[in-house]
Parts: sequence; structure tokens; C-alpha cells
Amino acid sequence: MSHSWVDAILAAGVVPASYVPEASVGRTDLEEFTGADPVEDPELRVHSLDGVRALAPAAVGFLDGIEQWRVVGYAGVTPIVRAYVAAAIRLRGTDRRPRTIAEDADELAITRLDRLPDAVREALERAGVRVVEISADDAGQPARALPAARIEVQKARAALERRLAERRLSGLGSDEWLVVDGVLSDSSALSAHPRVLGVVKSHGAEYFAGPELERALTLPAVRRTSVFRPKSRGARRDIYSWYLRLWPWEGNDLLYGLLRVEARAHPETVARASGISAWLTAERAPLATPDRRWDRLLYPIHDVETYLRARAPRDLLPAPGSRLPRTGT
Amino acid sequence: MIDKASPQPPPVGRVVATEQKPATPHQFHFWTANETTIGIGAIVRVEGAGSGEQEAGKVVYGVVTDGFAYSDLATPLHDVVGAEGDPARAAESPTVRQEIRLWTAAVLRQQPEEPLQPVPLGRVHVATDTDVAQALRMDAYLDGTEPTAIPVGLYTSGGLEAPVYLDADFLLGPEAAHLNISGVSGLATKTSAVEFLLGSIFQHFPPHKGRIAAVCFNVKGPDLCFLDRPGVLEDEDRRRYERLAVRAQPFERVRYYAPFKADGVNLNTLRTHPDLVGDVEPLVWGLREVLDYAEVLLNRDDIDAKADAFIDFLSDRVVDKEFDDGFGGAHRVVTFADLERLFRSIFDGLELGGGRGDTWRTHHIATIRKVRNRLSNISTRAKGLVTDDGPSNDLPWGRFEDRAVYVVDVANVDPLGQDLVFARIVSKLREHLERRDLGVEAVVVFVDELNKYAPADGPETYVKKMLLDISERGRYLGLVLFGAEQFRSQVHRRVVGNAGTIVFGRMDSDELATPGYQVLSPAIKIKLATLPIGELMVRHPHFTQPIFVRFPRPAVLRGRDGVERFPPAADLPFEDAVVRQLVKLDRRVRPNLVKDLIVDRREEDVRRALAHTRQTRPQDAFAHFKKHLGGRVAAAPATARESVPPLNPISDEPY
Repeated sequence: MSHSWVDAILAAGVVPASYVPEASVGRTDLEEFTGADPVEDPELRVHSLDGVRALAPAAVGFLDGIEQWRVVGYAGVTPIVRAYVAAAIRLRGTDRRPRTIAEDADELAITRLDRLPDAVREALERAGVRVVEISADDAGQPARALPAARIEVQKARAALERRLAERRLSGLGSDEWLVVDGVLSDSSALSAHPRVLGVVKSHGAEYFAGPELERALTLPAVRRTSVFRPKSRGARRDIYSWYLRLWPWEGNDLLYGLLRVEARAHPETVARASGISAWLTAERAPLATPDRRWDRLLYPIHDVETYLRARAPRDLLPAPGSRLPRTGT
Repeated sequence: MIDKASPQPPPVGRVVATEQKPATPHQFHFWTANETTIGIGAIVRVEGAGSGEQEAGKVVYGVVTDGFAYSDLATPLHDVVGAEGDPARAAESPTVRQEIRLWTAAVLRQQPEEPLQPVPLGRVHVATDTDVAQALRMDAYLDGTEPTAIPVGLYTSGGLEAPVYLDADFLLGPEAAHLNISGVSGLATKTSAVEFLLGSIFQHFPPHKGRIAAVCFNVKGPDLCFLDRPGVLEDEDRRRYERLAVRAQPFERVRYYAPFKADGVNLNTLRTHPDLVGDVEPLVWGLREVLDYAEVLLNRDDIDAKADAFIDFLSDRVVDKEFDDGFGGAHRVVTFADLERLFRSIFDGLELGGGRGDTWRTHHIATIRKVRNRLSNISTRAKGLVTDDGPSNDLPWGRFEDRAVYVVDVANVDPLGQDLVFARIVSKLREHLERRDLGVEAVVVFVDELNKYAPADGPETYVKKMLLDISERGRYLGLVLFGAEQFRSQVHRRVVGNAGTIVFGRMDSDELATPGYQVLSPAIKIKLATLPIGELMVRHPHFTQPIFVRFPRPAVLRGRDGVERFPPAADLPFEDAVVRQLVKLDRRVRPNLVKDLIVDRREEDVRRALAHTRQTRPQDAFAHFKKHLGGRVAAAPATARESVPPLNPISDEPY
């Protein structure tokens, strides 16, 4: 879908705008303390990966998604946001080169319809763009409208990723794994599959406190913690998880090089945790530079993101010029 | 020939343009898959994206001039970090970094040609036969009522190959002319390329342009001594001949010329095998032939107005005329020997004349002595080419045959003699072509080691001036220079600059570093430095960029192989050599009779009679030879001299 619907609403009287909010840093973990139950050990311990034989799947699919959005106009003080979300799975086989095997994208308009003039609303309907509404309260306050819009974009992306991943599960080969950038517990299918991993690189959620928290956050490089079960939160599914340190954190910060891995809540996961961790440690190379999250970003995930960004609409990227008023010449 | 039915191959790349690397009307960049058949020198076709009105249907042809590969690695240090400093681990990373094959291409042609715009960001295809013809503007001379296309080789890339043609109007005149070929020695490229191209020219020279012949100077080894003998070809060579529509056969008409050795009877060439030597004509010149090109024989310091005037005097007033020396002697100077007699007469006359001074006919005796020295010197240094006495034997001026190759073997001749041969033959070609009485309308002159005859620096020799003249004006006459050299930078820039077609074989890296190659990209230079045998880079007026082509090995016997198959015969004794030449003229000649006839005869007399017989080519060669040899003059017994006894007889006493 082109952005012809943007032209339509501008023609209907929307004041044009061009505001690209700060780029998403990825889907974040929940920013709250939830707690966890020990699974592998009575309390959180550190497991060395020295001498551990890494799991070596014949093929691995890596799934990631992107989101891009821009305020394209204002009807009064109500923003109209054009958002683009996309997700892809790139399969890495024996030749070690990722190739896209599934992808999807969606474009949506985010606003509050009942705050729009009739002409604008009709223009949106005629354009056929999928409209996602923010709450009336948020729409009334520009300072709250944009964060609300951002949440809707994130939801749309997460939904798209989930759909894509679940579709892929049916075709997953017997020696093929799927690594998802983010949590698995949003999907019952993903969280129950024996060869699906979630790799979480943002650590808003806190599962431990006290000495266990310290043990988790000061994990030495190439070590993992015991497998634990994050406590269930809302609709989230039962999952097993553990921390893995890819790079030494000393000299940086506590979260430097720290991943949290999610896998099926099953005894087999505990048995495989070290092998999986050794595998993920091997994924440190090649470095995912120049991405600033390279210490936690696996290169194949970075590769998916690069692929998606290369195919995304160019007009949603921040303009290279300044936002100084135009001179009229 | 051009395969117009070849299917359209799928795209292999896509044009990309950034602010740093934009597409321009003359250059563009495109990427391909990592595994691609594209390489340096590949010809590609870009189709307009079709988004704009002008771009729809626009086709751009380009040739790849450079290639780049890089990954998304931000800095080499990141690779070190990722591999934890162990290069072995770097190769074991689970994922291969994204990498790109990015190519730079120079535009060969845009269609439509106007308006000339930047290359569209479209799809890139490997060129087909038809594309190559379009890209190189060969369509202008491949088709039509009077095509002028000369196959030069096959453009090959990624399993596709297409014939490449030169335009005869631009290779052999009159629009442009001359070919220059450079390349390091010993790779059988320069000579082989010229041999193949000559064969191609002979088979494809347009009928409406008349007749053509070639004069090849063999300046080293046996290179050109076996052009009439079939060489060994492989199946691949035959396939290439077939693709180029050139018959794989040796030259049908080859005439060999070589001077004699110093003995005046054995030919100074490597084509002396008994089965072949019969085809070799002796190249012998006398005074008249030399005097016309005396300037060649004099070094720069010698060429002063006085010597020049005296040579002119000899040429105009003395040679071939009845001449009175002013001292009572009458001369008819035809040979070097006659001239020597005249000089002696002049010197004697001046010495005996007492107070008559140091001048003769306004020429100072020093000038006369200098000219005499130089002229007598040539008969010594080029003995065998220049005859002191007797008639000359020359190329068939006025009777040149169509599609014939005249090989002049001067490989073992003194450099001065080589200069003389070269200057005289080329000058004669020019004279006859100007008068349109050579027998053919165009002549290709092949000269190897051009850097020797037309060096970039050094004195302005007669030969160099003549080569410059050919280079700049030869195309109007049909006199076409095919020059070869190892280092192009060492050849006079006006000689190479006037060559319409430039061919490069494998080049020396030092040579490629000279300013003349600045226009080539580093990748092209590297390709040139590593070019395999049988591959060339060609520049031609119709091609806006140099093109790499492969040519089949020539269908003639290579010099080295020829010498092995037909090893040169050892020099024959004087008598046998005379017999061989007479038998060549007349198979009825009985060797024993000849030997009996010439035994105890002076070799000069025998050579003179033999030369006359060779020149006359009588029905009965032996009778003619015998007649000109003359009767044997019995040696008169020496008369005993009366000696005067010494005044003081020498004593037997030793002390």
C-alpha cells in the first residue's frame, strides 16, 4: 500500500506534519519485578560453559521485526500516525548464509477517529488503510497521544512477528530451530515448541532480588545461570529461562553482553541449556556491529533487521536535513 | 557470426547509485550475487526501470572496469574481536557476514543516444551476441550492402561468447588505420595475434575495397618463417575459428625474401630446410638501391649539407651514366666496384694533380672520403644484402599479388642493414601505392620491435621519420602499419597515437605504471598484467572502452615448432650452394657439371654469373650461367725476376 491515503487526508484538510519519533530500540521486557521459581537448581547458580559441546542445528531460522512510524498530520491536536511494521524469518543452512524464507509487512494509520473531521474520516475509510485507534483520553493530550501510538505500533509489530513465527512452526524441519528476537511467552504455540528459543536482550523485568539478582547481573562471560521459571504474568505462558553472558561486563555495565534465553518449559530444556548456551555463545561472531546493541544482538538477528530495513518505505525514515523552518525559496 | 536468436538471459545484477557513487552518463555501479559470472571486462546491458517516461525502453551498454567486495564489517578490529584474535575461529563463525559484489562499469553506448542522461537504476543483464554488436557499435559495419567487419576475436564472459569485429575502414583506412600491439615477450601473443588477424583480414577484406597484401619483416628468430605451413590446433581453437567464421588454414600465398650470408650463396634465414628453402628468394641490392637511401646509412653526425650534396651529385650525375672524372678517365658507375674505381681515380687525380687543390667538382676531398667510407662500409656490414658487384634481386614491385604475404627475413642482418631494408621497402611501397601500380590497393606492413625503429627518444633517424610519415599519412595511400613492441611507452607517441586500433597482450607491471596507462582502472591493469595466452585487450575507434577478446592460435606453424619440424640446413659449401640455386632455377641442371665449371674460379665471378642468371631466369640456366662466367683464363707462369746482388753479402757469421 502506498501512502496515497496520506495524500487523501491531507486533501481533506489535515495539517501536514513530518515528525519521526526516536527509533524503537526493540521490544522491551516488562519493566517490573515478577519473580521466578527455581527449576534446575534450588537457587540461582552460575554454570560454566567450558568444555560444553554446543548444540549445532543443521538449520536455524531467525525471526525479527521492525517498526517505523511518522506523524503525517494533525486534525486539530489529534495526531494521525502512519506506521509500518514488518517481520521476516531468515533461514541459515549449512552454507552459513541466511536467506529469507518468510516475511510479512503491514501499514496502518493510528489516530482517534471520532476526533477527526468527517471529511478526513471518510478519506481514511475510502483509502482502505487499516486504522488503529488510541483511547479518547490519550487522543486529547498530544503528550500522551504519541506514546499511546507507539504502543499500538509495538503491538502491531509483535502481532505480526507472532503470526509469522506460528506459521513457520508447521514447516519447521526436524533438525531446524527457530530463534525469535524477544519473548516467547506471548504465544502458546511458540512457548510450547521444543525447538524455538526466545532471545531477550532488554532486561526491564526483574526476576530475582538480593544475592540471586547480584549473581545474575554479575554473571561472568561465557557462563549461564541456572534455568528458572519466570512467574506467570497475565496471559503469559509457562516458560523456562536463564541468563547467558556473551562478553565480560567488567569495564562496561551490568547488562553488557547479557542475554536472557527463553525456551519451552520442559525437562529437556534443562538438559539442553548448556548446549544451547554454548551455541548462542558461538553466535557472538560475527559481531553485529555497527548496531549499538551489538554486545547482545546476535548477528543473524541483526541480519534480519538489516534486511527488513532495506525493504521498508524510505519516506518513514528521518529526513537527513534539519527541522528548521523552510525559507520559502 | 552474430547469433541473433540467442535467448534473453535473466538479470544478473541491478544498478545502484548513492550520493558517494552516483550513476552518471559515462559510468555506473551495479551489484550482483556473490557467485556470479561477471568479471572485469564483462559487457552488460542495463534496462531502464521503466518508471519514468524517458527511462522506459532506455538501454545502456557498459563494460565492467572495476569490482569491489566488502561486508558489513565496520572495522577490521571487529573481526578480530569476534574471533577472539584467532584467525582460525574467524572462519568458523556460524553465520557468514553479508557481503556485496559491487561492480563499476563504463558506459559503452546508450540507446537512444539522446538525451544523454545518467544510467537508469535498472536491471543488469549479461550481454548476448546482439548486445555486444550494439554495445560496440558494430552494427554500423556488420550489416548493410557493403559490410566492412573483420573478426578479431571472441568476447567471452560467463559462458557466453560473442564475436568481436573491427571495421576495415578504421583498421586499414581510409577513416583511420594502423594497429599497434604491445605485450611482454615470450608469451606467443603479439606475433600470433597479428598472424591470426592477417588471416582474418585476408578472408574478410571487403571486396569493394580491392586487393590487399602484407609485408612482414621477420626481425627475430624464425617467428614468421613458416606462415605457409599448417600449425597444430586444438578443438577449442577450431571452435573459435568456426564461431568467427574464419577458415583455419595457413596463408595460401607466401613469398619469402632473405639476404645472403657473407659468402654470397647461402641464404641468411632459418628457413633453409631442403624442403622449404626453394621458396626463399634472395634479397640482393646494388649501388642504385642503396644510394637512394644513403641517408639511412649515415648517422646523425654524418648528415651535413656537404655529404648530402655529394651523395645527390653521385645519384644524379654519376650512377648509371657515362661520366668523365676530369682526369681523363671515363666511367659508367653501376656497381659498388665501379664506384670504388671512380673514387680511386678521383683521389689519384687530386694527388697527382699537384696544385689543383683539395676539391673535386666543388666537393672537398674530406667529404668525398667520408661518403666513400660510409658507402663501402655498408657493403662490408651488410655483406650478402648489398652486392659489390652484379645485379640486384628485389621484391616484385608492381606485381604484388592479392592476399599474399611477403616475408622479408632480416633477423640475422646487421642493424644498419635492417634499417636499410626497412626504409627502402617501405619507401618503395609508398611510391608504388601513390602511383597505384603496386598490384594491390592496400598493404599491411608488420614490424616487430617497433621501439627499435621508432623509439620515443633518441635521434631523428630516417627510419623514424618514415614511420611517422606512414603513421600520419599512410591511411590515405592504403599503407597500413601493424607495429608490435614490448613496451608501448618506448615507442614514439605519434606512431602509437596514430594507430587507430590498439591491442594489448599481457603487460609488464612497470610498463602499466607509466603515464600512458593512467586511463585504465587498477582492475584492468591487474587483468592486463595477468592476461593469459590468447587473450587481448582491444581498443578500436568504434569501441568507447577497451574490450577483452580471445583469439584462436594462428593456423600456421609457429616459429619454434617450425624450426623443430624443419631444422635449418647447415651452410652448404660454396659449390653446393651454387648448384642448389641453379637447380632451383632449372631442374635440368646437373650438379657435377656446375661443380666442374666453377672449380678454381674466383667466387666473385661465380656470384656475379649466378646473380645474373637468377635475375634473367633463362630457359637454360646452366648455359646462361656458363656464358656469364666466361672462359677460364689460364694462369700465366710467373716470370723470374733478375735480382741485384747486395753490395755487402750477408755473412754466415752469426755475430
